[in-house]
Amino acid sequence: MKTKKVLALVLATIMTFSLAACGTTAKTTETTETTATETTTTADDTTAAVDTTTEATGVPAYADIALGEDYTDLTATIKWYHHKTDREADGSIAAYIAEFNKLYPNIKVETEGVTDYAEASLLYLNTEDWGDVMMIPAIDKNELSNYFLSYGDLATMSNLVNYATAKEYDGQVYGVAYMAGANGIVYNTRVWKEAGITALPTTPDEFSADLKLIADNTDAIPLYTNYAAGWTMGAWDAYANGVCTGDYAYYNQKFAHTANPFANKGDETGAYAVYDILYNAVANGFTEDDFTTTDWESSKGMINRGEIASMVLGSWAYTQMQEADSHPEDIGYMPFPITVGGKQYAVAAPDYCFGINVHSSEENQTASLIFVKWMTEKSGWSYNEGGLPINKDGEYPALYSAFSNCVLQEEEVALEGEDNLLTDINTETELNFNNGGDKKVQEIVECASDKSKTFDEIMDSWNTKWTDAQSSLGIEVLY
Amino acid sequence: MTEKTSVLEKKPKSFENLNVLGNQGPSEKKTFYIWFHSRKIQKRLVMFTFMFLPIALLGIFTYYPFTQMIDFSFHKMKWIGAREWVGFKNYIDVFKREDCFGALKNSLYYMGGAVFQLCLALYLATILSFGVKGGKFFKGLMFFPYLINGIAIGFIFKFFYTRGFVLDTVLQAIGLNIDNLPYWLKDQSINNVSLAATSVWKYFGQNMVLFVGAIMSVDSELYEAATLDGANKWQQFCYIILPSIKTIVLLNLILSITGSLSAFEPAFVITDSANGTGTYFTTMHEIAYTSQKVGLAAAMAVILFGMIILATIFQKVLFAVLFKNAEIEDKKGGKKRENKINRMKKRKGII
Repeated sequence: MKTKKVLALVLATIMTFSLAACGTTAKTTETTETTATETTTTADDTTAAVDTTTEATGVPAYADIALGEDYTDLTATIKWYHHKTDREADGSIAAYIAEFNKLYPNIKVETEGVTDYAEASLLYLNTEDWGDVMMIPAIDKNELSNYFLSYGDLATMSNLVNYATAKEYDGQVYGVAYMAGANGIVYNTRVWKEAGITALPTTPDEFSADLKLIADNTDAIPLYTNYAAGWTMGAWDAYANGVCTGDYAYYNQKFAHTANPFANKGDETGAYAVYDILYNAVANGFTEDDFTTTDWESSKGMINRGEIASMVLGSWAYTQMQEADSHPEDIGYMPFPITVGGKQYAVAAPDYCFGINVHSSEENQTASLIFVKWMTEKSGWSYNEGGLPINKDGEYPALYSAFSNCVLQEEEVALEGEDNLLTDINTETELNFNNGGDKKVQEIVECASDKSKTFDEIMDSWNTKWTDAQSSLGIEVLY
Repeated sequence: MTEKTSVLEKKPKSFENLNVLGNQGPSEKKTFYIWFHSRKIQKRLVMFTFMFLPIALLGIFTYYPFTQMIDFSFHKMKWIGAREWVGFKNYIDVFKREDCFGALKNSLYYMGGAVFQLCLALYLATILSFGVKGGKFFKGLMFFPYLINGIAIGFIFKFFYTRGFVLDTVLQAIGLNIDNLPYWLKDQSINNVSLAATSVWKYFGQNMVLFVGAIMSVDSELYEAATLDGANKWQQFCYIILPSIKTIVLLNLILSITGSLSAFEPAFVITDSANGTGTYFTTMHEIAYTSQKVGLAAAMAVILFGMIILATIFQKVLFAVLFKNAEIEDKKGGKKRENKINRMKKRKGII
């Protein structure tokens, strides 16, 4: 009995002390980390210097790795956090890794697909030992070097990959995109043909007329909003840039400096024209009957079967719509129907970028670099997803055939010293363009449906918010 | 026999070992040993070791983050990056903004739902505690929704309310025309009621089970006595059941009201908190995660915490006032009875 008691007591003390130990270690790492973030923001240059020294001691640059020749005997286990839960589930990511392991048998890649990635990844990032490779979440550009390893300088990297500027800060590249897309409209070619449409629309008015033809001549829903999913509404923000202005420097360089950017320009261009397409489609009844109960997963099959005629989504959606049911040949992709000065424009935009943990061990960083380079150059992931090529000599998938007459280019990056300007005004106005600002687009649908606000009233309120934020943040109005 | 002796022999040996390890004089040792094994110390030791874990967990995962959140609420900050001390600006902003307190209006729907839910639960609990056939089966059936994950419930109800789906089909089957039916989630005059209904559906079973438990603890002799005195079921409910379980009713009411102030799941999952269904919590989530105004969201959370405390105090006071009257009546009744008995005794004494 006595010994049992003593044993129990010992066990209890061990357990309590082990817990206390956990608590203290967690606390110390946390304090060091907060001090790290606080100090590094003021001293970016010193951390950059630290980065270059770590590179010199053993981790090669992205450019210096010859796949299949270097480091083939490297043994490491790396962990990759990503957002493609659907590709994790259908086994295609495992297939890519199996292929990778043929070349590098000793590099083990563990993957974890995270739903709700945009939020969860930010929380992961705050712990330094989250793993090795991550799709870089939305953080300010000047913070990149605190969390991610540089692949090399911009001049070298832009010769090797497209969209090197996407996660670039101070001349260093911290992210390589896994795929890129162009923004247009997914549509069912059969339904559009049955409705009697022969040429693709190039202006909002033509698009509206086409929707009317579809409504009159077919049973399909002309334009499915996918309102309930939320983020599908945020997709409309992807056209408020070069697409509607014909100016690829507009979104990142001029947007924040523009006075009343949502004003009606009167020539069917500009952000006003983009969202007006949505408002009109809903107001005229060319969208689904009850937008609040739309369902994203079933919408894929519906457009495949021809129950939906069109959806405004990025080109990444194309393959998903094809795979959803038995008519992949009916799915088509067209540029957004806005013409600026006689030309249609499309923006090629990188998706999530691979980032490598700056706090990982050197072997893991090297292994991660090899893995990222292999995924970019050899895996064909971007092509398979219907994306624009990331690697400089990559191929264009067939879905971009309709884009042959339109200008397809990537956006220019923000001017030096203004990297965070758009993020700042985005959060200040809470309009959150291309940053989860779904609510404002959902409001357009609501107001168009119950006529509680006119479209001009909504745009005026956005302009007011924009002007207020410009004055509170001290942003110069230049355009 | 041999085993017993060996055990007896071993015992002093183990004491000796302890002494050697302790390296202390035998007399001191004994007092320490006795002190250590005294009931008082053992009791404290057991209390401490058993309470250490839960308290440590509570401290690390509840109170430490909470103090951090209060700290956040005085800063202008994003999740990542530098912070800037702004004092009470975030709190002022919360009161200035339309959407924060505007969203509280929607909480009224959930509060209304909570009251309805408690009445329903109380009604069913009373019926079930008077020996209904298959009572346990019904109890299980009604408790079941509480076990389903809130997200799953959200998806169930999204399809439930979809035009021409479950609810519309059922209503059409009982003779209603679909053209007269509202769009349950699209129509802004009814969509919050639809959402509150899902929350009632989920939680009434749990409330009911708690009430059944409380009602079972009521002495059944009281019912018998009441029946003899000619009290009907309604009077039994009002004067026996309700006063006996008032603590648990109050507890459920507080939980439901505070729960409705912080309603999140139905609006977040079913309607993406759009179309005028955003609650205080979903607004806070939007501000914290989409706009990354962490300080402002933390200030909202602190204010919500304050409001919940106020609501709880208000309810406590209200109930104290409500039930005080009943107690005073009782006390008077007791005194009257005593007086009566005294008078009788006096009379008897006189006789």
